[in-house]
Amino acid sequence: MDFEFFTMNPIALFFASIFTSNILMSNFLGMCSFISVSKDYKSSFGLGLAVTVVMTITAAVSWVVLYYVLVPLGLEYLSFIVFIIVIAAVVQILEMVIDRASPALYLSLGIFLPLITVNCAILGAILFMQIRQYGFIESVVFAAGSGLGWWLAIMLLAAIRGRVENNPVPAGLKGAGITMITIGFMAMGFIGFSGMIAVQ
Amino acid sequence: MFQKQPLMRKVLWALAPIGLYSIWAYGLRALAVAAVTFAVGVGVEWLFERKKGGKTSEAVLVSCALYALSMPPAVPLWIVALGIAFGVFMAKEVYGGFGRNVFNVAIAGRLFVYISFAGALGASWLPHGGFGMGAGNLFGPVDAYSGATPLELMRTGGSVPILDLLLGLRDGTLGEAPIVLILAAAVYMAATKTANWKLMVATAAGGLAAAGGLLLAGVAKALPLESLLAGSFLFVAVFMATDPVTAPKKAPAQWAYGLLIGAVAVVIRTFSLFPEGTSFAILIGNSFASLFDRMAADAAARKKARAATAAGGAA
Repeated sequence: MDFEFFTMNPIALFFASIFTSNILMSNFLGMCSFISVSKDYKSSFGLGLAVTVVMTITAAVSWVVLYYVLVPLGLEYLSFIVFIIVIAAVVQILEMVIDRASPALYLSLGIFLPLITVNCAILGAILFMQIRQYGFIESVVFAAGSGLGWWLAIMLLAAIRGRVENNPVPAGLKGAGITMITIGFMAMGFIGFSGMIAVQ
Repeated sequence: MFQKQPLMRKVLWALAPIGLYSIWAYGLRALAVAAVTFAVGVGVEWLFERKKGGKTSEAVLVSCALYALSMPPAVPLWIVALGIAFGVFMAKEVYGGFGRNVFNVAIAGRLFVYISFAGALGASWLPHGGFGMGAGNLFGPVDAYSGATPLELMRTGGSVPILDLLLGLRDGTLGEAPIVLILAAAVYMAATKTANWKLMVATAAGGLAAAGGLLLAGVAKALPLESLLAGSFLFVAVFMATDPVTAPKKAPAQWAYGLLIGAVAVVIRTFSLFPEGTSFAILIGNSFASLFDRMAADAAARKKARAATAAGGAA
């Protein structure tokens, strides 16, 4: 098999995936929930936590499925569909487990857990893992870092939106418009990190 | 036409000597850049505020002055106009005008042109001194100048004399070089409570700590003292990080904000594709400012609640 378990410094990869190659600020994945949920600070916290957990688990499961099932059987062309099924299954199982183990956490995550099934950041992270041929440890580290980076970005945006909410913004730019401009400025700052640590 | 804002006037006074330095260093070039910046910047704000019946803020003068001083001397004037128009329009008026902006106006404009026209700006350095005798033709294309700014020298491993750095006897943007004047302005603004000294100290400390850490880790090109004096680090720490509108309001948040800006600036200029990281650092700091404030407020509220329950339990 043409894959390795461990190929890149995991600490560098971890920080790169949180800050310098933030999955939202440099790849713009997971924008839909990023924009809609960041209206509310508390929900953003819950969703960010959920994304981080699900991303880490699905990346680990997908890696195993990819290299122990799909690659040996020569079925890589099915990987998109299989990854989506893996994500849906993991979210479903996680939902049941959390409901059993900790009803409080289940209530606080609420609608966000099922929503994550269609969060493109999750699928994006898994596809990056496949394209960049990460080993198992790297995949988990990368996914956890990307999740934390997503969490950080949505908290930043939620805090800024809380501040901007009551501004006399021009009528046409209220809501999503001013949010897109804010995201643009944030991304402009993150451009500064380009070329720092190559994750791809 | 202008709202009276005494605080902003003091910043302008603090910037005046640096403006004079830029005229000494680059002559008519400095005046031309300043003229374009003020005309376009004030014009854009006036267009917006006119409809609302509001007056133009004096803060826009400060933004324009900071923006002009952060331009490289030989920059094409249409780029100058584009940047300040973008900054005032997108970073300020769209957010509802003075006091509402999330991102620093001067930095937003500067970074916009810095990213969009990196090549043109990177080739816009001029030799300093003699009222711009080195600048050549005022409006036409300037002869290519092969000198390196101290930051570029340091990146390639060269050394820079500290005294020249302190006195501003080196090439750079219009107003970033005269360290002595910037420090004097910092003292003046801190003494008159125009700018928050915590933010300046925290930013400088963040930069020193990051540069020192990198030095210990064996990255030789990041000498702590030089990295504070070269580039626009101090200029940005004194004038941009202390922007009262975009900086956090709570003291713990301000310390975190300054440290973050200083550290990110040094990290970016050491490792990334860009030679200078201070503008990026300010924009990243601005992105974090609201979250820091929110976390500081939440922590204070938690503390209060705990104290209240403790007091209630005792009673």
